[in-house]
Amino acid sequence: MNHPFLQVLETIYPAERLLTRDVELLPYESDGLTAFQSKPGAVVLPVDEEEIIATVRLCHQHEMPFLARGSGTSLSGGSLPIPDGLVIALNRLNRIKRIDPQQRIAVVEPGVINLHITEAAQPYNLYYAPDPSSQSICTIGGNIAFNSGGAHCLKYGMTSNHVLGMKVVLADGTVTQFGSESIEGVGIGPDLIGLFVGSEGLFGIALEITLRLMPQPELYRTVLAAYDDLGAAGDAVSLVVASGLLPGAIEIMDRLAIKAAEASVKAGYPDAEALLIVELEGEAPQVEAEFAQLQGIIEASGAFEMRVARSEEERARIWKGRKGAFSAVGRLSPDFIVQDGVVPRGRLGEALMAIDKLKTKYRLDVANVFHAGDGNLHPLILYDGREAGALERAEALAGEILALCVSLGGSITGEHGIGMEKRDYMPTMFSEEEIDIMQALRRAIDPMEIANRGKMFPGGDAPALKQHGLHPLERQGVISRE
Amino acid sequence: MTPTAITTSAELSDFLRQNERVHVLGNGSKTALHRTANGAALADLSTLCGVLEYEPSEYTITIGAGTPVSHVSAALAEKGQYLPFDPLLADRATIGGTVAANLSGSRRFRYGGIRDFILGARVVDGLGRAFRVGGKVVKNAAGFDLSKFLVGSLGRYAIMTELTFKVFPDAPRFRSLRLDYPTLPDLLAAISFIKQSVFELDALDFTPAAGGWSLMARLAGSSATLPPRVERFTQTMQRESAPTDISEQEDTATLWDPLHRLTGDAIVKVVLPPRQIPEFDTKVADLRRRYSIGGNLAWLATDDVTGLDTSLRRLGLRGLCLLGAVESALIGAPLENELAARVKSVLDPQGKLV
Ligand SMILES: Cc1cc2nc3c(=O)[nH]c(=O)nc-3n(C[C@H](O)[C@H](O)[C@H](O)COP(=O)(O)OP(=O)(O)OC[C@H]3O[C@@H](n4cnc5c(N)ncnc54)[C@H](O)[C@@H]3O)c2cc1C
Repeated sequence: MNHPFLQVLETIYPAERLLTRDVELLPYESDGLTAFQSKPGAVVLPVDEEEIIATVRLCHQHEMPFLARGSGTSLSGGSLPIPDGLVIALNRLNRIKRIDPQQRIAVVEPGVINLHITEAAQPYNLYYAPDPSSQSICTIGGNIAFNSGGAHCLKYGMTSNHVLGMKVVLADGTVTQFGSESIEGVGIGPDLIGLFVGSEGLFGIALEITLRLMPQPELYRTVLAAYDDLGAAGDAVSLVVASGLLPGAIEIMDRLAIKAAEASVKAGYPDAEALLIVELEGEAPQVEAEFAQLQGIIEASGAFEMRVARSEEERARIWKGRKGAFSAVGRLSPDFIVQDGVVPRGRLGEALMAIDKLKTKYRLDVANVFHAGDGNLHPLILYDGREAGALERAEALAGEILALCVSLGGSITGEHGIGMEKRDYMPTMFSEEEIDIMQALRRAIDPMEIANRGKMFPGGDAPALKQHGLHPLERQGVISRE
Repeated sequence: MTPTAITTSAELSDFLRQNERVHVLGNGSKTALHRTANGAALADLSTLCGVLEYEPSEYTITIGAGTPVSHVSAALAEKGQYLPFDPLLADRATIGGTVAANLSGSRRFRYGGIRDFILGARVVDGLGRAFRVGGKVVKNAAGFDLSKFLVGSLGRYAIMTELTFKVFPDAPRFRSLRLDYPTLPDLLAAISFIKQSVFELDALDFTPAAGGWSLMARLAGSSATLPPRVERFTQTMQRESAPTDISEQEDTATLWDPLHRLTGDAIVKVVLPPRQIPEFDTKVADLRRRYSIGGNLAWLATDDVTGLDTSLRRLGLRGLCLLGAVESALIGAPLENELAARVKSVLDPQGKLV
């Protein structure tokens, strides 16, 4: 990194919060897309919003590319540093400023860990709904950048649906606020929250966020159904949806995923080609009645075994295997790529069959664990990076899956974002003009394109490849993925 | 000026290229929103009408922006589904106008507002460019989410020609209750209790009433489960909040029309953090009013828009006039925002859309 810029940074940061030595930078070189790495010029660790604002203004003045970083768990390379750029690491802005149970809101700093909000809200019978599998480690700032979701987003939506207000610093140093403490959020005038959430760190940095909290459901009822055919599990989803029920979660795992989950967390799952999990939540009398209806539907759907969680422990057991499935599959293989394309729910069966064919074509294994209720696939492509040409085959297979999702009328990403990884697939979903307009929008906010330069849009230099495998925290078993 | 009937997106593009200033008329149901149109060329989108794609099993529907809300609701009801954001003025408005003005009814309380259910749109911007924003599936994280941005944008950034929404199965049965409280603080305490309780209400509104305040609560569900739930709710509220009276009300559309009984020169929507209600209410004590979605929104009728504007400014709140002959539909705290201005510079640099 060039010296004049470092010198001005030193006017803001004491030495222990301005990292420039190689060993200090190492932890910031990768994110959850572990196949890639890139070396930043420096990392700063601000402790309050004034420092962030001052830093962004400096970057703008010096045309220095920067990356806001939460916990670095992005699966699409969204938090890969810009080579020689600045990383603004937000983990020290981790204060929950206020929980207001009367208004059912939380006001937080961007580096707050997702799960900590639910923990702080629990005494009031409230919780923060979006539940990415990485929730024990990922930050609200990162969730905002990707509009992150989880297994329970069918009914109450993703991150964007739970943000009521924000204060942000745009990439050119402008500070602005929008939204309110009303559940209407912005309510009058264009919904700026909707625009900012999901902008992948390209517009600027969220400094303070007002979140909606939800009352804890009185009762959960969870059923696990086993099928000897993946298609039958997919058809069961359609039956559930057609019945008029609105479950909180509908999830499917295929044989390879079940096997891996068994080997790793010993969830005690039945030996099956596919497992379906459906969960209902809400007021007890309503849930009990709906659950009876749900059981009838599952029985008629050709499941050869059905298990019902009758206690919180049994429910936790069902979810344990599901939530741990991805990391478990990851352990079966030296390397893997996760995709998160979306297809219309009614075309899930078709998509799964096509993926099955692609496996044979590319001679690679693919495990499927997915948010079936949303049509959000999570195919995990297994390969061995030491084998010549294996990564290329895996990437080609991943690309075909994305193209498949688009051709079935879906999307190339449901919750992991475009990041670095899917930049080149943007044109499969958007016309040249649509991409031009998005780019113009970005430049109107960030004329020098310094905020997370090189992400989301096609072209640009890819950071270098490095070793593969699980996220370091997954290897330690701290987090697991969906 | 006579409105020009627009029958295709291409015609709208031409119309935008040919005119200096353009304003869209839906059904003209929200009269206050058309005052800025002074001298602008008027586009009538009512022929961009109809359900274009509807897949009940996908929970998605795509409709022409000029489609009457009632038409959409009827198509959904046939399959037992509904728009959970509960479009306001359901008998008069078009879906495009509803999104542009961001107007939800009381049932928005249960699952969320328009921003929570819009998935994508086709639009024409101020430069006449026709393009798509968002997607057509219930989950999509690709690209900037301009479809949410359009909610509440009052047609000033781009004109929507087609909209895709997420929809939900509707409940077959409803029951409505009125709970009376002697004072506003008593009623607010009851609401606080409900908000942290296990009760999942379909709607929760309140109004001043003769001799006190009335809370209106609606429960939705099946015919088998509603009676015990209503029973439990009633007993719990009796115990926890001591209302002076609890009575069952006939569950009619009028009961849940938040604008019912609001008559005045102007009808105004105010976005309201619940904690500001006590202070706010003292400022509007003379006005007919109804607090909606659990006290996160107020509907007011006033003959003195200027006075209300001043009060709202002092409280840092914003209002939107829907009906009435007002000078500007936007009152209260200023709306100008730097991020919105940047979007405007891209989508409508010549400021054609008014
Ligand atoms: C094991 C595992 C499981 C996962 N499971 C899920 C899942 O179930 N659902 C899901 O959606 N995702 C999942 N993810 C992906 C990832 O956790 C999410 O994308 C998460 O939101 C990233 O948060 P983070 O704090 O790690 O952000 P980072 O990776 O540090 O950053 C992500 C992006 O956010 C931007 N950013 C960070 N802070 C801010 C801010 N304050 N303002 C603006 N931009 C900011 C960054 O610039 C970057 O572009 C999983 C990842 C892993 C490794």
